[in-house]
Amino acid sequence: MTRRTAPRAVLLALAELLAWWAALALLWLVLITSVDTLERIVGASCAAVGALLARAGRRAVTWR
Amino acid sequence: MNGWILAATVGLGGGGAAALWGVTTGSPGRRVIAQNLTTSAVCPALLLLSQGYGRPAYVDLALLMALLGPVGTLVFARLLADDLADERPSAWGLTWAAAGLAAAVVIALCVAGGPGRAMVKLLVIGALLIGGNVIASRALAGGFREVRGG
Repeated sequence: MTRRTAPRAVLLALAELLAWWAALALLWLVLITSVDTLERIVGASCAAVGALLARAGRRAVTWR
Repeated sequence: MNGWILAATVGLGGGGAAALWGVTTGSPGRRVIAQNLTTSAVCPALLLLSQGYGRPAYVDLALLMALLGPVGTLVFARLLADDLADERPSAWGLTWAAAGLAAAVVIALCVAGGPGRAMVKLLVIGALLIGGNVIASRALAGGFREVRGG
């Protein structure tokens, strides 16, 4: 029997991912030299991967 | 030669030489502390050199150093945990002096550069440098013994 994930948990996870993504994308924009379209696309992609990794890392630390 | 390069030379010559002396002499505790303080001595000098030569790209070197230096010290703190358990090496005066040096350099560069993305980058580097070194010093002094087992 598969248990459905509560909508609240999904929303919380999405909010956390979005927060990580925003913070990492902002960090990228601060650290690069010239801001252009390519940098924005690459930065947004890297921030998305980083957000997934950050949430996985945070869960690995807090799940005892 | 300008004031920035002169300050960097003094920082590298004084702090770097002192750190090298500490790393090569004395007990393991003293050496590991000197190794940790090397980052605090060299990273501000790199920032000053970047400003002195007018090459903003050199700041990336300081960013990497501020990020990787404390991580390297944490690896040492973990690997040498048994050797350092009795000694609990700490040099809080030097640690806070190095933090003050980093803060002074970052503030001076922020004032010189004016507001903008470069200033935020400098502040990020300063926070990484000071926070990383204080945390690494605390780890060396046995401040995180409860997480020794991983």
